[in-house]
Amino acid sequence: MAALCPPPSPAVAKTLVSMAGPSPVLAATFAYWDNILGPRVRHIWAPKTDEVVLGDGEITFLANHTLNGEILRNAESGAIDVKFFVLAEKRVIIVSLIFDGKWNGDRSTYGLSIILPQCELGFYLPLHRLCVSRLTHSIRKGRVWMHKVKNNGTERNGQSIIPMLTGEVIPIMELLSSMKSHGVPEDIDIASTVLNDDDIGDSCHEGFLSNAISSHLQTCGCSVVVGSSAEKINKMVRTLCLFLSPAERKCSRMCRSESSFKYESGLFIQGLLKDSSGNFDLPLRQVMYAPYPTTHIDVDVNTVKQMPPCHEHIYNQRRYMRSELATLWRATSVEDMAGDSAKHTDESFLPDLLHMFQDIHHRDTFVKSFLEQVFQLKPNLSIRSTFLAQFLLVLHRKALILIKYIEDDTQKGKKTFKSLRSLKTDLDLTVEGDLNIILALAEKIKPGLHSFMFGRPYHISVQERDILMTF
Amino acid sequence: MIGSPDVVAFTREEVYEEPLQGSPGLPEEYSVPLFPFQEADSSPWSRPPGAKFSKDFILISEFSEQVGPQPLLTIPDDPRVCGAFDLNYFSLRIMSVDYQASFVGHPPGSSYPKLNFVEDSKVVLGDSKEGAFAYVHHLTLYDLEARGFVRPFCMAYISADEDKIMQLFLELSGDFSKASDCLKTGNRKAFANELEKKLKDLEYTRSVLLAHLEEQRKTDGKGFYTTQAIDKANELANVEKSIIEHQDLLKQIQQYPYRKLKPEDDFQPFLPESPCDCTVTGEPERAAPSSDTEENPADEEASEYHPRASYTPKFIKAKSAKCFDKKMKTLKELVDVYFFVQTIDLLTRLERRYRGDVSYLLMRHLDQTLLEQQAISNFLFEDASTWNTKAFDRRYEEKLDASQSLHDSKYLEEEQDPVKPSASLESYKSSVESVPIKIEQDLFEENGHTEVLIQGDQVEVAEYLDVDIKGSISSGDSIEVLRTERSASMLSHSESQPCLRLHPSPQQLRRKHSGRRTISEDSIEVLSMCPSETIIPEDFRASYQIAINEEEPCVDEECEELTSGPDAAGRSETSVNELLIDPACCIRGDDSSPVQQNVDLSPDISVGDTIVSVPPQPCRLPDRNFQVKVCVDNAESPSMETACHRLSVTEPESVHLLSSREAKRMSSEEHLDSLSHKSSASTCSDRTPSPPPISSLSERHKRKAGQNALMFIRQYPFSHPAIYSLLSGRTLVVLGEEEAFVKRLVTALSIFVPNCGHSAKPIKPWATSPLNIVDFQKWKLIGLQRDASPPGSPITQSLSRYRRYASVLDADNKTLCCPVYKGSLLQRMADHRTQIRKGSTYYMHVQSMLTQLSSKAFLLTFCHHAQLRIHPDDVEESVCQRRAAFLHQLLGLSQDDRKIVEYLSELLKTHYVTEAGTQLLPALRFNYIPSILYKI
Repeated sequence: MAALCPPPSPAVAKTLVSMAGPSPVLAATFAYWDNILGPRVRHIWAPKTDEVVLGDGEITFLANHTLNGEILRNAESGAIDVKFFVLAEKRVIIVSLIFDGKWNGDRSTYGLSIILPQCELGFYLPLHRLCVSRLTHSIRKGRVWMHKVKNNGTERNGQSIIPMLTGEVIPIMELLSSMKSHGVPEDIDIASTVLNDDDIGDSCHEGFLSNAISSHLQTCGCSVVVGSSAEKINKMVRTLCLFLSPAERKCSRMCRSESSFKYESGLFIQGLLKDSSGNFDLPLRQVMYAPYPTTHIDVDVNTVKQMPPCHEHIYNQRRYMRSELATLWRATSVEDMAGDSAKHTDESFLPDLLHMFQDIHHRDTFVKSFLEQVFQLKPNLSIRSTFLAQFLLVLHRKALILIKYIEDDTQKGKKTFKSLRSLKTDLDLTVEGDLNIILALAEKIKPGLHSFMFGRPYHISVQERDILMTF
Repeated sequence: MIGSPDVVAFTREEVYEEPLQGSPGLPEEYSVPLFPFQEADSSPWSRPPGAKFSKDFILISEFSEQVGPQPLLTIPDDPRVCGAFDLNYFSLRIMSVDYQASFVGHPPGSSYPKLNFVEDSKVVLGDSKEGAFAYVHHLTLYDLEARGFVRPFCMAYISADEDKIMQLFLELSGDFSKASDCLKTGNRKAFANELEKKLKDLEYTRSVLLAHLEEQRKTDGKGFYTTQAIDKANELANVEKSIIEHQDLLKQIQQYPYRKLKPEDDFQPFLPESPCDCTVTGEPERAAPSSDTEENPADEEASEYHPRASYTPKFIKAKSAKCFDKKMKTLKELVDVYFFVQTIDLLTRLERRYRGDVSYLLMRHLDQTLLEQQAISNFLFEDASTWNTKAFDRRYEEKLDASQSLHDSKYLEEEQDPVKPSASLESYKSSVESVPIKIEQDLFEENGHTEVLIQGDQVEVAEYLDVDIKGSISSGDSIEVLRTERSASMLSHSESQPCLRLHPSPQQLRRKHSGRRTISEDSIEVLSMCPSETIIPEDFRASYQIAINEEEPCVDEECEELTSGPDAAGRSETSVNELLIDPACCIRGDDSSPVQQNVDLSPDISVGDTIVSVPPQPCRLPDRNFQVKVCVDNAESPSMETACHRLSVTEPESVHLLSSREAKRMSSEEHLDSLSHKSSASTCSDRTPSPPPISSLSERHKRKAGQNALMFIRQYPFSHPAIYSLLSGRTLVVLGEEEAFVKRLVTALSIFVPNCGHSAKPIKPWATSPLNIVDFQKWKLIGLQRDASPPGSPITQSLSRYRRYASVLDADNKTLCCPVYKGSLLQRMADHRTQIRKGSTYYMHVQSMLTQLSSKAFLLTFCHHAQLRIHPDDVEESVCQRRAAFLHQLLGLSQDDRKIVEYLSELLKTHYVTEAGTQLLPALRFNYIPSILYKI
């Protein structure tokens, strides 16, 4: 038992992480509630820098602070609660995920936290949802891990959870670092986008641009732009960003010209550079874990592919997550658990993943008309920006009406929504692509709308298809 | 995807159910639910299952050194809001994460207690089981009797929607920081007062002890010291030490480091002007304005905490009460009453402001942002109150900045000099910082808007005061709460221990006070007071008037700027034809501000663009048979009538002209819609309606207008030609005997009337006198009283005189006389078969369609292909043909739809070349088109 005890504070185990660029993260910590000693820090991850902004003692103090009051924790089973601190006296912000888990047979409360300087509040807030989503899944896996290592008797020196968490925390630190250096600014000059061209076909083919923007809007503004030219990629990234809100832009990333970034799940738009052989890495598991479906845009060959709509995406995502966790649960050794969990997932589910990017099935009139019209206006003037603002206002208003319409029709979700046909007619959304765009915008405004409208019927239809495949 | 129900019969039960069962062996708590809405009743609108409170609320808690964490008060103070939610437990939860880095007491190496001015900490946390999530703002107040002189408090915004808290984090943080600053400023003031009283007590005690000692020395002449004398001497030493300590504390609290606050924390209720000012002003600490304290009963209570000039010092006994014997001060006692009231008022407004569904709150913000980006065209159909205030404020701020840079800090003083009452108000000072406080009307935010309305129209003022009642206006950069009658009464009702109770009345928020802090280079704090007209003391009335007067130079300045162009003098008389140049050519790429755009209109600015050199082209409808243009100067602004119209919608509306069945249905639908409003804006986190951007009156008006419009398009088969008349600029007269019914129809049709400028819509809801030609210039929708007298009456005669140039909807006979409409736009906008059931939804639908129309008009206006000669040999007809082709092919518009877009485009051009804010009426234009009589 003594061997399982963590080292006493302040000599907390620490991993220094070498970062390629400037790191906005001061440290990440993993702490737990000791029934005798109270909050204790188990591990610290900190970027390797010349200048030490926060000492280990301060990090430990702050990490302990995140668990203050958690003795009163009264959470639902399996809940992962988020706490967010802005401590002006310490000039730090902390995002902390608190969860219950079983370790060594004892049930206790744990906290996985990231500490940033307070001056990064504006930088961090647009990325909060992304970070929480990523950390939440890490914790889901970590809980299974913690439970299994004891039962399997494979934990050594109480540290076996740390490598697993290291593998999850470091990518988040790298992501934040990359966002610091290559994040899209909040304000985008239309002059640096395709929409400033003299004519519609100047930078890229008209149909390609229309498809790209349309699909981008249909997939809730979530897109990956790939190509061989960083300049070309970034121009497309900036163009697509015009159709996002300022906060969403700050959750998007430009392409790095020297070498490609890794794909990061949860960003709205990201530019990725192909390698010299024209290939790039798109990890399907991470694409699947993005909160919204993704549009894949290749500026080299002018192709646009998109994932299924939100309700299908969410269904597949959850199905895959459950599969991954179940595989982890079934693993019999640490080596099995430490391996790439994707390969352990339900084999029958993989073929779906391989075909998750498909051609655009539904054309729209909104984007097509907009592009035809906006190029009628003179470039290099503010009138195109004004016209774009009008276009976005129309889309957002339609999305809000759609929400209100469904709200009225279902008595705020108390009844099933059955009048899609009437909705299309009444709101002038009879063109399928138009409906998809408005639904996607509505999904961002009212999360879960797709699943509410289509979730169950979709699930049933998938089951029917699966059954038929077996005949 | 196969969705046919036929195949379900072939499904195998076990395989079908497999994915729902979860993975074998994996405990459900470690897994992820397959569906976002696992429970039967869950939906995007549903609240967390454990949530026990009905809507969001604000909780103030304290970590008492005697009883631990305890809730003090909630806003709103309604037990139904909190329901079964355990406030005690949640207070314990939120206070247990407090971060206290402050050190108060005797730090090492220091012989005296040291106050540490701790910055607030902010925490977002939740209790998933209780379904409660909170933004918690921790702050520390000072109390002379508390342990270490500090009392930890927190203000929490509690919601059932976790996302709402995080998505609004910055706004919540900013607003609660203002409330905290206000509270802490009041606390410092009260603390300083308390210290001063204590010092007086100590001085008095010392003098008494000295007298005792002296007396003993005289009586006991032998030179021996008795035990009693030694005790007294020790006591005296302690008192002297205590005096030094308290003097040090007083010095510390008076030297509060304001600059410690970050630059972005722009709200600071008081700032010390400069150290020398404290001495110059002479008056040490009596801060409250004399006039105010004399007249306002609230100050009777406030004076309890102010060291009065007649304060009688008390003798302090050597042994004080034990810690648990003493009664701790309440929050109200800890804070100067004036600031306490401000804080509570601010928090009340915040609660109202953040009430409702986060999606509606966020969309409202996005809407405003996008509308601000289209200042050129948003006047057409947008509710000016949603964006105009900001735009106006921004312009005003720019002007103010400019003027301030010219006049430096003396600007405001010079402005105020001519008005005597302001001088008395300038003597208002903070007792803590000895800062002279100037009284000045708020020039920013919504108050600026209000002031303009005051100048123009008293009825508008009434409406906008009512706007403020709803409390939905953001406080912006300044706290806008001052002492009110209500506040005083509220405080008198609040309990002293331990929990405070608030009993706000509906009239409370009517008393809107606006405060503005201006920081000059000397960091002078300027706080304004503007109570409502019902309770304004004379001096405040004066200041209110001052504010109005202050506005004038800027407005005039703006007008001067607007009319400073080469053709400014004759602009108001310029006909549309003269104004019709291609605005696209006038837009500069780098700036779209109206003033600068206006400068671009000067003919000599071609900027190398050949198109710009093309002379302005007339914009004529090719199919016009007859056109009359009349310009009327100095026409009356329509705002007054429209204001009346706006107000009229709240009047009880008659439905007796409808059949009983219709009336019944209408009534039930109205009720349904009313419920819809209450529920639609509410969310999974909140069942209360989302407050509208400016006022719930406005929102109510929209809902009512939408409901009436929905009725209109369902009940009147000729709704399309009627709407077409309005959208194409043809005046529509609604003729009827009963005012309420006519107004109802006018309200229904009002949502289709384009604005002509940055003013209210050109609608006259009820006219009882004969119409003349100027009315047709001013109004596009007129409700006209039908004479009971025979056809020869003046009203009927006037109407028949202009009948061929206007559309007439006879409300009594249910007929419409107007040109035919053969387009497709209105089929979608006003479809009588629509399944939209609620007025608010229909209003949003119409608004969205009208935004699309505006966009088309904008495109037509600023597309030079459609407006100008491309080749020198182009004749006007070819331009017209090109424009027709543009409208038909690119925008897909039919003949009649084209007229709508062309009319809107003309409005845009007129508005563009005139300046935003000027009340230039459009040229009067009659367009004779044969009319048809429609009947039901």
